[in-house]
Amino acid sequence: MSKNLKLKSARAAKDMSQKDVADAVGVTRQTINAIENGDYNPTINLCIAICKVLGKTLNDLFWEEESNE
Amino acid sequence: MNKKGLDEMQIQRRNNIGNQAFLMLLYLLLIDAGLYGYGFRWVSYPANIMIILTVCAGIYAIRLIKASAYVGPSTKKERPVLTILMTGLISVLVAMGIIILLKNTGFSDVGQINDISAQILFSAGFAGIAIAVITVVINRMQNKDDGE
Repeated sequence: MSKNLKLKSARAAKDMSQKDVADAVGVTRQTINAIENGDYNPTINLCIAICKVLGKTLNDLFWEEESNE
Repeated sequence: MNKKGLDEMQIQRRNNIGNQAFLMLLYLLLIDAGLYGYGFRWVSYPANIMIILTVCAGIYAIRLIKASAYVGPSTKKERPVLTILMTGLISVLVAMGIIILLKNTGFSDVGQINDISAQILFSAGFAGIAIAVITVVINRMQNKDDGE
């Protein structure tokens, strides 16, 4: 699985650390780190929670264009 | 999200590690039974079962901690370090107790170890209950602030 750079950049744009996002959505920092590194495929509920915290849509953060693959 | 338990990735990892540990326990017990059937007794009963259980439980706990699937997401007021320290301390004490108990009996004499098998089982059960009670108390202490 490829790295989720969109999530990382969205988090950086809001000046939030992995720990801040993790606390906001109720998971561990390791889980956010694994999602950003592509080591873990989150459930739709966790995706939605992350999108709400970062003020983005699912398409913005988790949709992969075919040209990028 | 559930703030008291493990998060979804931790649950998946814990389940995966638990399945592997259970299968390892099953295969080790089968191997032990097979060796016993061929007349090879590496350690007399019930020490062999105790050793296999202890090894599997130890590997399970170590892999859980290594995979960050032992302590769930914590709020700032919670103290997961206290949980880990208490659990580690109790584990060491229980392991020392079992080792001392087994050392005093010796592995060579089957009848001798059978004499204290009831104490071993009682000690293991008591240790399990003690760990469960302490875990509940720690969880209540940590979650006390969330309810207020």
